[in-house]
Amino acid sequence: MTKENNKVTVSRRSVLKGAAATTGAALGAGALGGFPTIWAQNIKNVTLRQFGTGVSNLNDVATKVKEDLGFTLKMTALDSDSVAQRAATQPKSFDIADIEYWICKKVWGAGNLQAMDTSKIKNYDKIAGTFRSGKLTPESEIAQGTAPHTVGFVEGPGSKKFADNESGWMTLIPTIYNADTLGIRPDLIKRPITSWTELLNPEFKGKASILDIPSIGIMDAAMVVEAMGEITYGDKGNMTKEEIDKTIAIFIEAKKAGQFRAFWKTFDESINLMASGEVVIQSMWSPAITAVRSKGIPCVYQPLKEGYRSWGGGLGLSANLSGLELEAAYEYINWYLSGWVGGYLMRQGYYSAVPETSKKFMTEDEWGYWFEGKAAKGEIKTPTGKVLEKAGAVRDGGSFYERMGAVACWNSVMDENKHMVRKWNELIAA
Amino acid sequence: MNNTISPEKTSWMLVSPLAFILGLFLVLPILIIIMVSFWDYNEYNFFPAFISENYDYLLTSKVTLDTYLKTFKFMILVWFFCTFIGFTVAYFLAFHVRTLPMQIALFLLCTIPFWTSNIIRMISWIPFLGRNGIANSTLISAGIIDQPLEWLLFSDFAVVLAFVHLFSLFMVVPVFNTMMRIDKSLIEAARDAGASGFQILTNVIIPLSKPGIMIGSIFVVTLVMGDFITVRFMSGGQSTSVGRVISNEIGLLQYPAAAASAVVLLITVLIMITIMMRFVDIRKEL
Amino acid sequence: MEPRSRSFYVLVVFFGLFVLFLYGPIFTIGVLSFQGPNGGLTFPMNGVSTYWFHDLFEQQAVGDIWGSLRRSFVLGLMVMVITLVVSVMGGLAFRNKFRGSSVLFYLVIISLTIPSILVSLGVGLIFNIVDLEVHWTTSGLGSQLTWTLPFGLLIMFAVFNRFDKSYEEAARDLGATPWQTVRHVVLPIIAPSLIGVALFGFTLSYDEFARTLLTAGSDNTLPLEIFGMTTNVTSPVLYALGTLTTVFSFFVIGTFLLIAVLLRRRQTGAGTDAGKGMV
Repeated sequence: MTKENNKVTVSRRSVLKGAAATTGAALGAGALGGFPTIWAQNIKNVTLRQFGTGVSNLNDVATKVKEDLGFTLKMTALDSDSVAQRAATQPKSFDIADIEYWICKKVWGAGNLQAMDTSKIKNYDKIAGTFRSGKLTPESEIAQGTAPHTVGFVEGPGSKKFADNESGWMTLIPTIYNADTLGIRPDLIKRPITSWTELLNPEFKGKASILDIPSIGIMDAAMVVEAMGEITYGDKGNMTKEEIDKTIAIFIEAKKAGQFRAFWKTFDESINLMASGEVVIQSMWSPAITAVRSKGIPCVYQPLKEGYRSWGGGLGLSANLSGLELEAAYEYINWYLSGWVGGYLMRQGYYSAVPETSKKFMTEDEWGYWFEGKAAKGEIKTPTGKVLEKAGAVRDGGSFYERMGAVACWNSVMDENKHMVRKWNELIAA
Repeated sequence: MNNTISPEKTSWMLVSPLAFILGLFLVLPILIIIMVSFWDYNEYNFFPAFISENYDYLLTSKVTLDTYLKTFKFMILVWFFCTFIGFTVAYFLAFHVRTLPMQIALFLLCTIPFWTSNIIRMISWIPFLGRNGIANSTLISAGIIDQPLEWLLFSDFAVVLAFVHLFSLFMVVPVFNTMMRIDKSLIEAARDAGASGFQILTNVIIPLSKPGIMIGSIFVVTLVMGDFITVRFMSGGQSTSVGRVISNEIGLLQYPAAAASAVVLLITVLIMITIMMRFVDIRKEL
Repeated sequence: MEPRSRSFYVLVVFFGLFVLFLYGPIFTIGVLSFQGPNGGLTFPMNGVSTYWFHDLFEQQAVGDIWGSLRRSFVLGLMVMVITLVVSVMGGLAFRNKFRGSSVLFYLVIISLTIPSILVSLGVGLIFNIVDLEVHWTTSGLGSQLTWTLPFGLLIMFAVFNRFDKSYEEAARDLGATPWQTVRHVVLPIIAPSLIGVALFGFTLSYDEFARTLLTAGSDNTLPLEIFGMTTNVTSPVLYALGTLTTVFSFFVIGTFLLIAVLLRRRQTGAGTDAGKGMV
């Protein structure tokens, strides 16, 4: 995006707002029945500003939006702290927020986002059950933590209260999600790893790492501590003060003993730690594994017997959106769920909220490898065309249902959040 | 131009833009920070209140003490190395390089790396110091060590090294500036009186360079006290500093807590600066 | 010329090591920026290529390097001009004692020494509370000025400390008004030092990170963009950018030097040696 473009955009936006105000309600009413043709041209002038983490704020998506829908999507990629910050405090700086569900729980109350009418979401019925009823399959158990469906709906437009059913008013339209576990360097560890406890195994002294985002790090820590048999949590996603204190105490002890090489805060740091061999076992995110592997370095996203820590992200609409821009936003969301983006992201190792539409945008072999957990028949490539796996490779953890079915807890915000953050700071300062 | 305007009024007019900018972007922000430090907050918002909880926690927590001790440790080490390096380099430039163009050329040579983004320069230490980095592989292939040195990276050593790398120029510049103002005839006089090179250094040059050293120290001390990113990158997130605590609190939307930490940090820094300013009259010594 | 003492050679070595220390990382960056297309941010090298330099000019997976570079450049120029004008005015003003001068002076010192993140936080809070949108040309600009103005002003103090007032007196004796004295005598004499102020203003702004962090709004400046890149772009493109920046710096400093030399030459022609000794 060039500066000149920005300038033009700004003036267009203000003109549009004027126009929308004069034509007003009539158009709004017409919109419910689909897009009036009169807008087909106008919509090309719309610019939507989206922000989120680098995970999904990809310029390729913006390019494709311009191509398919005609309007401009302006992406800003931020780190996860800044994402929460902007969603909560800078409502004027965005039109679309690409945030995680636990962040949604935190910031929804700030009133900067508006609920979406699910009747306007064409593929709503095809969205994975995890995001609607909370159950992946009818038999699934719901994991601990801030499961997406618990903060996925509100009671109505303008409501700040989360609904416990599919109320028809969605907070975030789910986009991508994944099951996270520990990443390891099999060439340097040379033995099977099966449990979260290995993170604190003295064997890996000075070669382990955990992520330094308190709300997520504490969950990984809890997975480890529970696997060690030290604590059985009532709910890892909502610990008591005592549970938090004890968990942190165990980690402070390990830190003082020199267990950790580093605490990473950004996606990129985790890749470098692993690729350079500084660390052989650590909390990691799926595309980071992909990135390490695409450099030709062996790295496994190790499925563990205690299960996965999972997260999900979605698109939220700014409360300031209205009129033509709001319609453009709905159109964008419908496009988002229609498959192209899903296919793109699934080839990076994430899952799409509407898997079946993504299938059309993946080869059969890709679908088999990424979603069904089958052995690759040919080379598996990243969306940018780098070879990732040779024929015969199988995805770590297997199929979608095996992986998402083994989620132990979701990223979350606890009632004792303030206390937890303070204790986490003690860990960092120790 | 009308000659009846008094010099004082002229001065006021001349400083008014400066006063305006500082008032708006310095004084007002500080007042707001002080105000907000008494406010309350929840997960996503902060709101007017008058509570002392932010300070109560801050001033009684062991983390605060540890953090300040750690920050002071970094500060003292970095100050020591910067002063030593800065003084020596400035001394070389001012007294051993004989022509002005050469002095300027060498001086600029030192400044060019400062044009590359701080962050890029900082993270470029990582491949250098890492377990399989240049330093370790060189030492191993030279047969000096057989195990890679772990403490080179993600350690307090790495933090201090990066700080010295980033901030040493802030010492070189003022010391060099002061030294250039030392009247060369004083040195001639000392030499004629039979002083050795070392005596000239300790009895003439060092005392006369003190203002420059003080100004440089003010820079280095405040830069280290306020840093939040070098410590995170170079310690691999394992060390903390006051600035980092504030930036974490901001990141977690705990603005009132961050504001309280900021007020305490500001007071600490101002006390240190006040003490240092007693030894130097910046306006005269520049 | 007296012969060089032994301490001279010790100091040469020390200086050499210092330069090596300063340039070491730049050198590492330089080497790593020629990584092969599959290379990472760390050693070992994975082939040698100029791939990342080409890649730098392509659209990145996330973010917008060139947009942020343009913004940083424009912001740097804005900061430079304001710093220059305001510092010269301030410098002239501080030559006389005026009521409030010491308060203002201490404010300048506080502005210089206050931890940057506090300015960022404070300005961010103000904009938040009065419900204004932070933007790099408003809140960002103001925050950066709190950093560059003290430098500019201190340089002006240094300049006026070395300034020979007899030129001014001569001009006044010849009947020049104060404005004429400033315009035709003072400004031409201090002109070379103004390049220093300008250079400082631009550089400090161009590389400013902490004060812009919470005040830049939805568009990133270059340092913020680089910080953003460290959070999600795992490619030596970052190093290619660093290498190009260094090359560019040599070029810009060279240009400024040339201007300084030319100005000095013109002045020498006009028969004054004022401004000498200022770097």
